[in-house]
Amino acid sequence: MTWLTFLISGTLLAATPLLIAALGEVVVEKSGVLNLSIEGMMSVGAVTAFIVVFETGNHWLALAAGGVAAIVLSVVFACVVLFALGNQVVSGLAVGLLGIGIAGLAGGSYENMTVAPMARLQIPFLSELPVIGPGLFNHPLPVYLAPLLAVVLWWALKYSKVGLVVRAVGESPESANAVGYNVVGIRFLAIMFGGFLAGVSGAFLCVASSTLWADGMVAGRGWIVIALVVFAMWRVERVVIGAYLFGAASIAELLVQSAGISVPSQLMTSIPYIVTIVAVSILSMDGKRVRLNAPVSLGRVYLGTH
Amino acid sequence: MLNILKKLAMAACVSLVAATAQAEPTKLGFIYPSPTGDVGWAKQLDLAREAVVKEFGDKVSTRVVENVAEGPDAGRVINQMISDGAKFVVLGSFGYFNDGLRLARQFPDVAFLHASGFKQSKNFGTFTARNYEGFYLAGMAGGMVTKSNTLGIVAAFAVPEVVAEVNAIALAVKKVNPDAKIKIVWVNTWFDPAKEQDAARAAISRRAGVLFSLHQDTPSVVNVGQAQKVFVVNTNSDMTSHGPDAVLASVTTDWAKYFVKEVGDKLADNFNGTDFRGGIADGTVKVVAWNKAISADQMAQIKQAEADLTSGKMHVFAGPLRDQSGTERVAEGANLPDPDIFAMNWLVEGLDGSLPK
Amino acid sequence: MRAPWMIEPRTSLPPFMSLVPPLAAVVATVIGGIALLTFLGISPGTALFQLFLTPFSSLFNLSEVLLKATPLLLIAQGLAIGFRAKVWNIGAEGQLIVGAIGGSLLPIFYNDSQNPFMLAGMALIGVLCGMAWAGIAAALRTRFNANEILVTLMLNSLALQLLYYLVGGPLRDPFGFNFPQSAMFPDVAMLPVLSSAGRVNVGLLAAVALSVVAWLFVERSLIGYKLQVGGAAPDAARYAGFKESRAIWISLLVGGAAAGLAGVFEVAGPLGQLQRVVSPGYGFAAIIVAFLGGLNAIGILFAAFFMAVIYVGGDIAQASAGVPYAVISILQGIMLVSYIAARMFVDYRVIFPWSLAKAN
Repeated sequence: MTWLTFLISGTLLAATPLLIAALGEVVVEKSGVLNLSIEGMMSVGAVTAFIVVFETGNHWLALAAGGVAAIVLSVVFACVVLFALGNQVVSGLAVGLLGIGIAGLAGGSYENMTVAPMARLQIPFLSELPVIGPGLFNHPLPVYLAPLLAVVLWWALKYSKVGLVVRAVGESPESANAVGYNVVGIRFLAIMFGGFLAGVSGAFLCVASSTLWADGMVAGRGWIVIALVVFAMWRVERVVIGAYLFGAASIAELLVQSAGISVPSQLMTSIPYIVTIVAVSILSMDGKRVRLNAPVSLGRVYLGTH
Repeated sequence: MLNILKKLAMAACVSLVAATAQAEPTKLGFIYPSPTGDVGWAKQLDLAREAVVKEFGDKVSTRVVENVAEGPDAGRVINQMISDGAKFVVLGSFGYFNDGLRLARQFPDVAFLHASGFKQSKNFGTFTARNYEGFYLAGMAGGMVTKSNTLGIVAAFAVPEVVAEVNAIALAVKKVNPDAKIKIVWVNTWFDPAKEQDAARAAISRRAGVLFSLHQDTPSVVNVGQAQKVFVVNTNSDMTSHGPDAVLASVTTDWAKYFVKEVGDKLADNFNGTDFRGGIADGTVKVVAWNKAISADQMAQIKQAEADLTSGKMHVFAGPLRDQSGTERVAEGANLPDPDIFAMNWLVEGLDGSLPK
Repeated sequence: MRAPWMIEPRTSLPPFMSLVPPLAAVVATVIGGIALLTFLGISPGTALFQLFLTPFSSLFNLSEVLLKATPLLLIAQGLAIGFRAKVWNIGAEGQLIVGAIGGSLLPIFYNDSQNPFMLAGMALIGVLCGMAWAGIAAALRTRFNANEILVTLMLNSLALQLLYYLVGGPLRDPFGFNFPQSAMFPDVAMLPVLSSAGRVNVGLLAAVALSVVAWLFVERSLIGYKLQVGGAAPDAARYAGFKESRAIWISLLVGGAAAGLAGVFEVAGPLGQLQRVVSPGYGFAAIIVAFLGGLNAIGILFAAFFMAVIYVGGDIAQASAGVPYAVISILQGIMLVSYIAARMFVDYRVIFPWSLAKAN
């Protein structure tokens, strides 16, 4: 494996969980709900997937199970935020804590165990190409499904009726309700969808790219996902670019070190956060652009008539 | 008559008290910074605890609290253990230092052992492993088997213990394979398996054929080695079960003899806080799980070095030694003294990489 | 899915109702704690005792509870002021860290000093640093309209990296064998302990005093009033001439100052030095405490105390009964979720369709 191969393959593997979770969060935020509990949902997904693979050896089942486990947590979040009208920021933090704690508890006896990694794709001609072969064409299937999902979601949010409804609910829940849409119901489904993807993302992290479970292994990626969604101004195509950029940044630091060049590592780790702050500031300056893309009702409690 | 009865009663009481006192097992507390699991730093401490139980049987009872975060919260855990009657506490991480020392002053009848520490008192001892000796031997093996003439080190943090290990590896490799290149990647975390694995792959992408996994508690790097068909030398426990072909050697720590001695001293009321530095010679550091890819001749060379280290004929940090900027750190014929070894913050020349800024 | 009920805001509130949510949270947490521990194989009686009663069982334990409550109380009071104005400062953790760094500079560079004013100096610098860190978010929000939730969140991670960098290099103890921590602070830099039975220090008194100040600020001052109106009815506030940018600055600076001071209390108190782990998540826990206390200065006093009991009880349960630390996170989550659920019933009337039908 040459360094270029590693750069490509490492980026893809690091970016995929970010992308999957971010796509889910985009849908949730487009519907008007800010979900800060992603770290908790990813943790729950990761531990569930690990246990499933450990006991059954089936990776796809594990990904699905991780998604379902996160859905359960997301239902708790949805109930608190939509039915109990809890403040979204605080509820997200609380449910996130709940998720991290549950994952830590459930994973207790599985600490330090290893499982076989997910099977990698072997495309007859493409996988054998020098350098880019193993870099691009030799990964578990979800790596390729993720950008495909992005395309589907991009199209759906922009052109499909479902996408329109979700966006309408986020832009103006009162009008959407007046027209006859069930605002609470749609947001509930959106939250479950986002939860599922967050769970799958955590599951992937655990059984596809790293093969281990350890308490706290999500290691802050949930916060990066949130940053990613805002950095991308809620636009799916920018989420894709951002995810691969952030993924590449985390790999680049290690590669540069192994080339013998000394890098101030805390600075490297800080880059995604600094970049996000700068991007948010620059992009928010243009008030019109913000209004065009940010769901107007994001974070606000919706009373309506249930 | 009454007098005799009284004396008999006294004697009976005293012996009763003595009997119960003897029957009451001494409580030993063990505090680990991570979950015990089946491999890793905490596991090695726990194996030593089991040895203590085996040796002293009913005379002791042990309690383990694992996954205790470093910082002021640890103080509460230690205090609770003492409140529950512990007379001997093993502090399994450097980070328990401040609270440990404070409580040692408060409770002079409780004996403490502090991992990787540097301050001792009558009831507070420290223990450190000369892992660098083990890594010297493993480094020789690495230098011998690498076909690509490149080795990679995945290191957690640049604390002196780890820096000493990095230097030991470099010196050993240079001795057996002067043309070999050594790359270092600092992951700057004690704990992020995904990042550790990425770091391992980064080193492999730079043609490293042997990896040294310094202080990763999980088999993260070993797994990558197994998948990518690259040799790995890991720390703390024998990780062959996680990488049957990949593990070149495991630099393990065996605290059993040390713990048994210290507990024995405490039971005999003879405890004294010492600065224990265990290495190859006294069996604290054991390099095991040598890969069968190492030829018999090569093994013989390594065993000879091991014997030399044990007998004191050879020292890992023997002069002349220069650091990366060319300054001479150890003169010809001299050996780097212990305080300098355990405060090491420089790298020997010939390494491809530097200390993190 | 449509919920089979309607809700409308309550217009009148019997006074005792405002006690219901926190009580509900306490009850739910107690039940949740017992259930969890029983699930882990510990008898419910022991569980109840360990988690909720042992913190009161000795002077030392009580002192630990108060010690733990100090930063929670302090930060929550500061944050609550901003939250009432709907300015969401999620960056208390980072502001605490930066405050701790700032507060450590004097004791590190004047390590042999005996100057009795050092503590005051540390507090001042720490507060200013915390305010500056929060000020970044305020500046970006007022100038560029950047969402402060995002910016303060990102600043948390940046503060942590800054801390790692400083204790790993520039602020490292030259005699500390190159471990990533600073030299131990001289005695003049340490907060005096209140009683020899434990570790609780004068920081507690400061936190309580500042709670009173916070209460006065919100209930009695004009600025506090303006902040509150700005949060509750932004349009009305704007109409009345209450400047939004001023509200944002005050909210964030107050939160940053409180968190920064808490950071100084940590390094000048139980830590005694600057090291990699300065806070076990106080910044986030304080957000929960602020809400649990109903964003009310007095409520926060009780909420901080209760949260501290959970922390200490959890540690004791961990040491005595092998309960994993993860249980504490779960309990914190349960606490808040049940509080929010109960709050809903207090703030809104739930009307079931059949009661309407019956009325007809």
